[in-house]
Amino acid sequence: MYKSTSLFVIFLSLFVVSEAVFEDQVGKFDWRQQYVGKTLFAHFDSHSQTSKKLFLATDKNIFASFNSRTGDLFWRHVDKAGPEGAIDILLLHGQDALMVVGDGRLLRSWDTNMGGLNWEAVLDTGSFQAACFVAIQDTVKHLAVLKNAAISLHYLTNGHQKWVENLPDRDTVQYQAVYSGGEEEIYVLGVVPNSHLTIIAYSLEDGEIIKQRSVEAPWLSSVESSCVVVGQGMLMCVDPGTLALYTLPIQSLDLEVSPGFQPVLVSSQPHPARSPISEFFLQLGPHHHVLLQLNGDGYTIAPLRDFQPAFLVSFATTGEKTVAAVMTPKNETVSVQKVNNSCFFFFFKNMSQSYLKSKCMCSYSVLLSDVFPPQLYVHAFLKKDDSVGYRVLVQTQDHALTFIQQPGTHTDTGTYTQTLERTHRHWNVHTDTGTYTQTLERTHRHWNVHTDTGTYTQTLERTHRHWNACKPKNTIPTVKHGGGSIMLWGCFAAGGTGLFGIDSKSGSILWKHYLENVQPNAVFKLIVQRTTAHFPHPPQCTLLIKDKDTGLASLHVFNPIFGRKSHIALPVLPRPILQSLLLPVIDQDYAKVLLLVDDQYKVTAFPSTKNVLQQLQEMASSIFFYLVRSDQGNLSGFRLRKDLSTERIWEVVLPTDVQKIVAVNGKRPNEHVHSQGRVMGDRSVLYKYLNPNLLAVVTESTDTHPERAFVGMFLVDGVTGRIIHEAVQRKARGPVHFVHSENWVVVSSSCCKATVVVVVEATVVVVVEATVVVVVEATVVVVVEATHHIYLYRNSKYFFLKVGLPSGAILSLPKMFLDPRRPEVVTEHSREENLIPYAPEMPIRTEWFINYNQTVLRVKGIYTAPSGLESTCLVVAYGLDIYQTRVYPSKQFDVLKDDYDYVLISSVLFALFFATMISKRLAQVKLLNRAWR
Amino acid sequence: MWLQVRLSEVCLFLQAMFTLACCFSDMESGPIATSGSVQPNGDRFKIEGRAIVPGVKTQDWISSARVTVEGEEYIGFLRTDGSFVVNDVPSGSYVVEVISPGYKFEAVRVDITSKGKMRARLVNFIKTSEVIRQPYPLQLRSSGPHTYFMKRETWGWTDFLMNPMVMMMVLPLLIIVLLPKVVNTNDPEMRKEMEQSMNMLNPNPELPDVSEFMTKLFSGSKSSSSKAGQDEGNRMDEDEDEGTEVFTKRKLESNWDRYKESEKDGPSDDTPTQRGTDYHVLLESAGKEYMTCSFEMA
Repeated sequence: MYKSTSLFVIFLSLFVVSEAVFEDQVGKFDWRQQYVGKTLFAHFDSHSQTSKKLFLATDKNIFASFNSRTGDLFWRHVDKAGPEGAIDILLLHGQDALMVVGDGRLLRSWDTNMGGLNWEAVLDTGSFQAACFVAIQDTVKHLAVLKNAAISLHYLTNGHQKWVENLPDRDTVQYQAVYSGGEEEIYVLGVVPNSHLTIIAYSLEDGEIIKQRSVEAPWLSSVESSCVVVGQGMLMCVDPGTLALYTLPIQSLDLEVSPGFQPVLVSSQPHPARSPISEFFLQLGPHHHVLLQLNGDGYTIAPLRDFQPAFLVSFATTGEKTVAAVMTPKNETVSVQKVNNSCFFFFFKNMSQSYLKSKCMCSYSVLLSDVFPPQLYVHAFLKKDDSVGYRVLVQTQDHALTFIQQPGTHTDTGTYTQTLERTHRHWNVHTDTGTYTQTLERTHRHWNVHTDTGTYTQTLERTHRHWNACKPKNTIPTVKHGGGSIMLWGCFAAGGTGLFGIDSKSGSILWKHYLENVQPNAVFKLIVQRTTAHFPHPPQCTLLIKDKDTGLASLHVFNPIFGRKSHIALPVLPRPILQSLLLPVIDQDYAKVLLLVDDQYKVTAFPSTKNVLQQLQEMASSIFFYLVRSDQGNLSGFRLRKDLSTERIWEVVLPTDVQKIVAVNGKRPNEHVHSQGRVMGDRSVLYKYLNPNLLAVVTESTDTHPERAFVGMFLVDGVTGRIIHEAVQRKARGPVHFVHSENWVVVSSSCCKATVVVVVEATVVVVVEATVVVVVEATVVVVVEATHHIYLYRNSKYFFLKVGLPSGAILSLPKMFLDPRRPEVVTEHSREENLIPYAPEMPIRTEWFINYNQTVLRVKGIYTAPSGLESTCLVVAYGLDIYQTRVYPSKQFDVLKDDYDYVLISSVLFALFFATMISKRLAQVKLLNRAWR
Repeated sequence: MWLQVRLSEVCLFLQAMFTLACCFSDMESGPIATSGSVQPNGDRFKIEGRAIVPGVKTQDWISSARVTVEGEEYIGFLRTDGSFVVNDVPSGSYVVEVISPGYKFEAVRVDITSKGKMRARLVNFIKTSEVIRQPYPLQLRSSGPHTYFMKRETWGWTDFLMNPMVMMMVLPLLIIVLLPKVVNTNDPEMRKEMEQSMNMLNPNPELPDVSEFMTKLFSGSKSSSSKAGQDEGNRMDEDEDEGTEVFTKRKLESNWDRYKESEKDGPSDDTPTQRGTDYHVLLESAGKEYMTCSFEMA
């Protein structure tokens, strides 16, 4: 029975207005940008000279391979988010990339050519400290992994452990570094802070301790940060206290360290089978580096060159040649744009004859404000004529990677800027906090909404409203990127980094705006105060930034088309802000009024002109808002008074020891209800319960035991505080995603080993005159795949739910399948109502994936907005990647189909025309002949 | 290669045994080792399997695929030969999926007991306790590429011709134009046959024409006698019709008595009256037929 119904559903679903992509539409209306996150480790593929590969390991637990010429992604492997998938180290050996994952949990070896795994080995417990390759007689066969309590040696071919040894005195000594110089020994360095340094030499064969030595080092607190191995196994440490450099016999140098700066040493070991080079950099200040050389005797250090200012330094080796790259600013001009022309100096060092040669190899310009580049990766390679070529990868503070290639001795700035632009495609829009949080739009006509103090979310929703608001038409004549009528603009608020204006047609960044003094944990809300509809006034967006710790908020008002900051007087916000709401009230400049509620429940209006205040006084009695305090389980409603103070009118307390409020969602203020009811099979009308002030509150139980856990849902009237309905899904747990619209709520949670979607619909039944009873119907549908995020979008007739799946697909699910009135037994009436018979399981068809194979991983939100064309909706899904597309829920009824056959129609037209001409001529001849007869 | 893998497994197994021997606390859960999937760190297990896309080289799809266990709870990656291991999984019941944007794989539910026994079965979200065993280590075979796209409606001659409207128009046209040419209407035999077939086509020859019926209805009984006189051949039929209710108004007069008189006259004359042509003449005219007959005889 169940099987047959599900078959029936599948059959029926073929006839449902389903939207799928045609194959020739691939890439026509949609674009996807794939991101990887902030680079932690980067390696050039030095296996072959012509290789274009670049390997990155990032803080998003992604191991990716890029084409270094174009910046295209070859492949990427996305591991589990969070510390369990964090990449501790990435080492490259030939074609294999070795990776330690999850604080020393796993050791992985990747085949970089194919992008597949060679092997994966489970490591013993213990937190990861360091790892290095171990070579015997010029061949690298082993990898040494140092953990806080043990050292282990693994074969590179299969990951099997050769030996594991517990470290002595591990309670007192912090083991921090492991070093192998190509001999039969592995050195482990440990430190007892401010006391002494322990050096243990292990035998490569069986892990026996050969030597153990302790060196007094009261100045040393960490090996990792202040020591490097230089030359023939000399440990070089820097002491910030006495400004001295220590080789193991200590020697003092006459150098000056900028106050408060921890000196850093940079050295390089080009091959694990050989000792590190004897040259090394000492960083003395933020922009001050010195190149030093350890002399052959191993005791004296000679300064080779002083670089000041110098941003970044790096070493690269190819064959016998070693290159030191220094990035220095060339002519720093502190203009309005703060363009900084950087220059790379490359120093050649030939192993045989030591000479230094420096020239500015290339230069490129960056905006100093955004870029203080924190990382530099250089790859040197030998060219055919035995000269050295370079590839440079610069990571800047906004986590963008810039790839610069030095094609010949000529420096061609043109190509550099090109590569720059290309690589800037890797703008990681949302890197720092990774808080593209889901949007809970909460404003309503008469009452305001509130986000709980802890979960101010940054809003993409507003952005998109403004996307369609800021349609560049004739009103903005200077827009360069103008074109089709559906071209829109977007802003993405990114955690801590800035604000971006993104062209919705191509996904390119039109403008970016760096926000200074924004805490990384700040939350954002984007509000469109004025659209492009009011011509002489420019469109106006407001970004509300709130510090999560202090609750203090600041406003940034800007023009979304050009990203220019506007010079409107901003209100002073001395108190933490709890809530913001956008009223439909407009001032004389057509800007919508934004109300900000502080922690004393005082309301600040922005803009606060006389006109606005007067309007507010008039309609104060009809402005309500609510506040959620999830830590106290408190939901309360307020009313605005005429003097802009507030009064509490209701309060709902959900005891926090049983359940906690996860999310509260009102309805979209711009929601347009097309039909008040629905005609049933027996010609009676079922009226929807369309309370515009209805709030859907979703709670999760504090008890996480699978048998006792539950997900609760309340429908609360936002004005009166009346609980209209409550429902509990037993044995369910989060993450909960839900959509609230018209008279229904769709809640998705995971329950009983599957993802369950509960649909609740409220309808009104008038029992006696003036007695209205709200009837709530509910149904449960099991969705085959777990949902990540649900978002609703609709056109005039059909509702569709956009569901993000963990596989990266975005599913467009017709609301018809989530109708609580789906009958178990098909009757005449239900057939007339077009109800699909109920099936407990929801089949998912790959044709419903609007993003076909363009997967969007780790979906954090989906946003939809209507476009200027009635048939078209815009969809943006964001998470790790950004995907934008257009959808036509009920086909393109107001435009010609994109496969419209112009050739056929015109050829038919011409054929008909000629046919009439010829037949006319023939008729004339015939008439003439008849007349002759 | 296979041997090597086997060997390495044995190695791992031995290692596992070794660590077990080392930590006595784990000795009670001894039988775990039988499954060979125990890992050194406590009661964490690994899920093993292999994914195959028939007819596609592994390097073409493994870089974009990954193995997810229970959503994204645990993640594994595919080896260069298509096999995979998901490490560090505690006991429980999990849905294991190979997710690839290019190829379809069926999900499998894997149950791991607290002792480390593994079992794979089909996923059934409704009846979660139903067991339909699958092989373990998992053998996941792709059922082909995903179908993401709808097919465009293309304009083809066959589509056009097979359109019912077109067929309805074209077929009668063919009949009207072609049939008279195919069939020789001058042939009397054929004509006879056609007449017969036309009669066959007309399902109820007794039913009168509608127009006829209408005229009868309006002209009433006055004209009925003259009408009856016109078609003598159908007289018998008309008689029968009289019995039916519809035609009660019609009154038929028999004119058989005219013939009675002439027939009475006939037999009184002894001389045979010649009606029609002579039999011999007829035979001569149909000589051909006669000839064919004789041929057959010979």
